[in-house]
Amino acid sequence: MASLIPCPHCGQRPREEFTVKGAALVRPAADAGRNAWLDYVYLRDNPRGRYDEHWHHTSGCRRWLVVTRDTATHEIEGARDTAARTETVE
Amino acid sequence: MSVSAIEHRAALGGKAPLISTGVTLRTLPEGHVLHLLSASADSDVSATISAVLGCDALTKRSVSPGQWFVVGDEPLSAAALADIVKKVKPHAEVVDQSHGRVRIAIAGAKATSVLAKGTAADLALNVFPVGHATTTLIGHIATHITRVSEDGFELMVLRGFAESLWEELAELSVEFR
Amino acid sequence: MTSYRLDKGGLIDRSKPLSFTFDGKGMIGVEGDSLASALLANGQMLLGRSFKYHRPRGVISAGASEPNALMTVAQGGRTEPNTRATMQELYEGLVAQSQNRWPSLNIDISSLNSLLSPFLSAGFYYKTFMWPAGLWERLYEPLIRRAAGLGKATYEADPDRYEKCWAHCDLLIVGGGATGLAAALTAGRAGARVILVDENAMIGGGLLSETATIGGVSAVEFAGRTVAELESLPNVQVLSRTTAFGWYDGNVFGAVERVQKHASEPRPEVPVERLWRIVAKQAILAAGAEERPLIFGGNDIPGVMMASAMRAYLNRYGVAPGKSVAVFTTNDSGYTLARDLEKAGLRLVAIVDSRRSGATAGVYEGSARIINGGFVPDAEGGKALSSITILQDGRKEKLAVDSLAMSGGFSPVVHLAYHRGGRPEWSDAEATFVAPEDHKGLSLAGAAAKASGLAGCLEAGARKAEALLGKLEIKADPAAFGAVEGDIVAAPTKPVWIIPGIKGKAFVDFQNDVHHRDIGLAVREGYGHVELAKRYTTNGMATDQGKLSNVNAIGLLAEARGVSPADVGTTTFRPFYTPVSFGALAGTSHGKHFQPVRKSPLHDWAVKNGATFVETGLWYRSAWFPLAGEKTWRESVDREAKNVRRNAGLCDVSMLGKIEITGKDAAEFLDRVYCNAFRKLPVGKARYGLMLREDGFIFDDGTTSRLEDERFFMTTTTAYAAGVMNHLEFCAQALWPELDVRLASVTDQWAQMAIAGPKSRLILQRIVDQDISNEAFPFLGAKDVSLFGGKLSGRLFRISFSGELAYELAVPAGYGEAAADALMEAGNEHGICAYGVEALSVLRIEKGHVTHNEINGTVVPTDLGFGKMVSATKVDFIGKRLLEREGLNDPNRLQLVGVVPLDSGTSFRSGAHVLEKGAEATLENDQGYISSSCYSPHVGSTIGLALVKRGSSRHGEEVQVWNGLLNEFTAARLCHPIFVDPANEKLKG
Repeated sequence: MASLIPCPHCGQRPREEFTVKGAALVRPAADAGRNAWLDYVYLRDNPRGRYDEHWHHTSGCRRWLVVTRDTATHEIEGARDTAARTETVE
Repeated sequence: MSVSAIEHRAALGGKAPLISTGVTLRTLPEGHVLHLLSASADSDVSATISAVLGCDALTKRSVSPGQWFVVGDEPLSAAALADIVKKVKPHAEVVDQSHGRVRIAIAGAKATSVLAKGTAADLALNVFPVGHATTTLIGHIATHITRVSEDGFELMVLRGFAESLWEELAELSVEFR
Repeated sequence: MTSYRLDKGGLIDRSKPLSFTFDGKGMIGVEGDSLASALLANGQMLLGRSFKYHRPRGVISAGASEPNALMTVAQGGRTEPNTRATMQELYEGLVAQSQNRWPSLNIDISSLNSLLSPFLSAGFYYKTFMWPAGLWERLYEPLIRRAAGLGKATYEADPDRYEKCWAHCDLLIVGGGATGLAAALTAGRAGARVILVDENAMIGGGLLSETATIGGVSAVEFAGRTVAELESLPNVQVLSRTTAFGWYDGNVFGAVERVQKHASEPRPEVPVERLWRIVAKQAILAAGAEERPLIFGGNDIPGVMMASAMRAYLNRYGVAPGKSVAVFTTNDSGYTLARDLEKAGLRLVAIVDSRRSGATAGVYEGSARIINGGFVPDAEGGKALSSITILQDGRKEKLAVDSLAMSGGFSPVVHLAYHRGGRPEWSDAEATFVAPEDHKGLSLAGAAAKASGLAGCLEAGARKAEALLGKLEIKADPAAFGAVEGDIVAAPTKPVWIIPGIKGKAFVDFQNDVHHRDIGLAVREGYGHVELAKRYTTNGMATDQGKLSNVNAIGLLAEARGVSPADVGTTTFRPFYTPVSFGALAGTSHGKHFQPVRKSPLHDWAVKNGATFVETGLWYRSAWFPLAGEKTWRESVDREAKNVRRNAGLCDVSMLGKIEITGKDAAEFLDRVYCNAFRKLPVGKARYGLMLREDGFIFDDGTTSRLEDERFFMTTTTAYAAGVMNHLEFCAQALWPELDVRLASVTDQWAQMAIAGPKSRLILQRIVDQDISNEAFPFLGAKDVSLFGGKLSGRLFRISFSGELAYELAVPAGYGEAAADALMEAGNEHGICAYGVEALSVLRIEKGHVTHNEINGTVVPTDLGFGKMVSATKVDFIGKRLLEREGLNDPNRLQLVGVVPLDSGTSFRSGAHVLEKGAEATLENDQGYISSSCYSPHVGSTIGLALVKRGSSRHGEEVQVWNGLLNEFTAARLCHPIFVDPANEKLKG
C-alpha cells in the first residue's frame, strides 16, 4: 500500500518514485584483486537488520541516495545523497 | 527547399481549457524551458545565476541540487538563447528543453485536492509555498510541480506524456466540475 | 409479517420510508437504517446460510465484525457479494440477495451437510480430499466450490468511478467514538492538522447507542455537537464511512471511504469509493473494544445476538430484538442492555449471569429475574430461536424466548497496531489480550487501550492527543466535557471460554462454521499451536478475519492444552482489517487510464500516413504503413524494406533514448562507461559505443556524437533508455562524484527520423542548408545544421542501421511533423516511403545489426564479433575486470552467426534451437538458438541471426533448426551474419 523513503532533497516520498539498486558498496579500484571484484559484483552479506542500500529518486530529483534500512522491520534510519551533498535526514 | 512556413505543433494543441468553480486546467504556451546544470549545489551559485539572468523564483525553478529550469511563455530566438548561455556559462551548462517539456496550469480552490489524487507530495501552503518546486509522480507520470500562487500550480511534463497527464488530470477533476 | 419497529426512539427518520427487496420480497425501512436493522424491523431474522453446514443464520452484530449477515447487494455491474448487512446503509431501491443457499433460503438442500457433520469436522479437507490426487482438479475442487461458495462476483464491468488520494496530517485519529472525538477536539482546537476517520455513516461510535448523558446533554447530542465543531475547524478533516484498514511503513495508513455506496443513484462524477493513503506524523487508534460471543450449543440460531449489538438496534435504530428476551452475561455490561430493554417496555424474561455473586452493587435496579451462577448450555430453534436451556447448580430449566443477548466480555480492537509486526499479550487482570499504549507513530487510547466507561474514554482521548502533539511541539489543552451520568462501567471479569453441559453445536467461528469440538480435535491431532490450529480448523480465516472468534478460539486452545492464553498467543495480524474492493485498489488505473501512453512528436505524422501502431513499453510506435490493396502486414513490410534499399524511406526513431552529456570531464566519463574509447572522438563525429555491465556482459549500445569539446549527444536503445540514464547517473553521482559531468535527458526534446536509402542524400539536401555531400559530410559525421533556409536548426548524424546510405535528423519536437512532411514532399519524386519498426527490423537483420534480441544479458563483445572494440589500453571502464574472466573468453561460447534455410520455401522462428545435422533434439546436443528472424525480401527467404557455439568459425555448416513447440525441424545453413553489402560500401558511398 505504501512505504516512504525520506529523500534528503524532496522529503518523504513513496517507494514508487524510487528505484532500488541494492547494497551500497564501494567500487574496488581498477587494479584491485580478482576476489575483491567478484565480491563487489556477486557477494552480498544479506544481514538481518541495518543495511545501507543505493536508492535512486527516479521520479523525483534523480539523485542516488544511500538509504539505511532495517531489513527485518523496513524501518528507515535515514537517507543521504550518495555524493554526500547534504546531511543524512531522519 | 523553399517552404512558406514551418509550422509548430503544440503537444496539447487544441485542448480547450477545462474551467469550473472548483478547478481550472489550461495548457500553457510552449515558450521556453532551459535546463541549467551546475557542477555545484551551493546556494550562492543559484543566487549568482538568478542575479545574472535577473529572474525570480517563479522563473528559475529548482529541479534538483545544482539544477534548475528557467521557464517563460515566449519562444527564445537563437540569439536570445545564445545570450543566456553566454551569461550562465561560467556557472552552469544550458540544455534547451523548450520542446521536450510541456506545461499545464492547474488552479482553483480544489487544485490541491485534484493533485493529491496523484501525488504523495504534501502540497499544504505552509509546507509547499509559492515558488517552491519539486518533481513527483502524478499517478504513473513524473511531473515537475511549481506553486505559482496560493491556489495555482504549474505542471511540467515530458512532451511524450503530456496528453496522458492532461487526460488524467481531466479525469481526476471531474468531481469538481 | 410483524413489525419489530418501535414507535419512538432511535436515530432514524420514520417519516422517510425507503423501499427495498430481500430475495425479491419487497420491504420497507426508514432513513437512518442499516440493511440489517431494516431487515430486523421487518421481522426477517433468517438472513443467510452458513458456509459449511448451511445452517440458518441471522444477524449477530451491529458493525464491522459481522460474520453471518453477508449478502449480495445491488445488481448488474454494481453487484457486490459478501456485503455485511450491518455496514450497508439502506437506500431507496436497494436490492439484496441472501447467499449460499439453493434453491432458496428457506429450503436449502445442502443443509443436509449438518447431518453429515461427523465427516465435515476440522481438517476434513485435508483428510477427505487427499486421495487420489488426480481427482482434486476434476472433482473435489469444483464440488467444494459449489457447496461452500460465498456470494458470486459479477462478470459485468463496474460502471462506477473509484479514486485514490493522499493526505497528510499531524494527527490521525482512527475511530470517532468518545475517545476519538475527545482526541480530535483537543488536537483541532490546538490548531494541529487533524484527520478523523470513522467507518460509520454517522460519527459517534458507541455514543450513538448510548443512553448516558455527558455534561448534561445526551450522548447522541454530545457527539453531534462535537462533530459540528470539528467540521467548522479548517485544520480538521472528518471522514465518515471511512475504514482505516492498514498501517504501513513510514506511518502511512490505508483507508477506504465509501463515498456513495449508500446512494440509490451514485452521481457519476463522484467516486463511489476513495482509497486514502494518509501520511500521519502521529496517530491514535481509538477503535474501541469488541464484545466476545459466548460458546454454547445453538449460539448461531437467528435471534441470538451480541448484547452490545442488541443495544444498538434498540437505541440507535429503534428496533425491538424480539417479543421475549433473555440476557446471558459474564459481566456487568449485560445489565446496561437489560436496563434499556425494560425502559423500552420489552419483555425481559431473565438475566443469566455466570457469576455466582451477580452484578456489582448498584449496577442494576430493574425487576427482571436474575439467575446468578447460571449458564445457557443450549439454545433451541431452527430458523428462529424458540427457547433456551438454563443450567444452574446442576438443574436445567427451559425458557421460551425468541431473542437472546450474550456478553462474554470485551477485547480491545488492536488489529491495526500490529500490522507492522509484533503481537498483543495476554493480561490476566484485564482478562483479554492487550497492546502497549504507545507504538512508534501510533498510540492506543480509550477502550482499545482497555479504558472502561465513557468518562474514562473521554479523558484518555484528550490526554493522548495532548501528549502526542507535545512530541510535535504543538501545545494542546485536553478538552473537558463535564460529568457523565447514567453510564455502567463494567469491570473486567474472568472469561468463561466454554459453557458446561453443551449438547448442540457451539460455534466459535460463525463464518467458517468452526465449533468448539473442532478446536479440541485440532489439539488432539497435534495441531494445537495457534497458527496450526488456525489453518487446521480454518478458524479466523474467513472474510471477517475472526473478529468475533479469534480470542475465544485461543481461550479454548488454552483450556484444551491446559495452559494460559498467554502461552497460546495470537495469530499474526495483517492488513486488511476489513475487505477492500478491487475497484478502490485500482482507482482510476483501468481502461485507457490503466497506464500512460507515451507519444512520439511524429505520432500524428504517422497517423496521417496510415500507420498501424504497436505498443513497445509505453510508446506507440508505427509498425508498418499499409497501402491500399495490401492484404497482409508482410506485403507492407516487404515493400517498405525493398523501397528503402532501392529508393529511400523515412522512419520515426524519436523514441531512442537521447542524453546530453556536458561538463569538463564529459569525455573522461564516456571513456569509463563505454568499453571502447571516446576521449579522442573528434568534434563533429559519431561513434558506435558498447556499454557493459560491471559483470562484463553487454548492457546497451548506441551512438554518441561529439558536438562540442565538452558536449556529447548519446543515443540509447528505446527499451533501455530509462535504465541507461539511471545507470549513468549512478556512475556520475555514486562512483565518480569527483568528475564534472552533467547529464540531461533530451529524449522528448527532439523529433528524430531516420532517412535511409540510396536517394536519402538527394532528399535531405533539399531541406538542409549546408553541403552534405560525401566529402563535406562523410559516414559518421555529426553536426548542427540549418534547415529550410535558416528557418529551423537541427542535428544531423550520418549513421546507418539499415546498411544503406542513411542519416538521422533531429529537429526540435514541436517542428517534427513539419520536417517529416517536408521530407516526404521532397522525397516524393525520389520514391520515398514511410517505414515502420517491422521494416526497420528486417533491414537491420539483413545487415546483421544486433538489438536486445542478441544483447540479452548473456553476451559479451567477442560473442558478437565486437572483441576488437574493447579497449586494451584504458585503465578502467565499467565491466573491464570481470570481462577478463576465462569463461567469458572461452572459444566454445555462443557466437553471432547468420542462418538461412536450405529450401527457401521453409522457414524458422526466433527461439528455435540449432542442432547439428542429424542430431537428436536433446539438451546435450543443443548448439544455440535463433535470436532474430524475418522474411528477407533481399535474400528471398527467411533469414535469421543466431547465437551458436563457435558460430563465427562454422559459416557454411549445414544444421537443423528445431522448433520445440511444434517439434518441427528445418534444414538450414550457418552463414556470415551480414546478408547485405558485407563490405559496407553502400553506407559509406
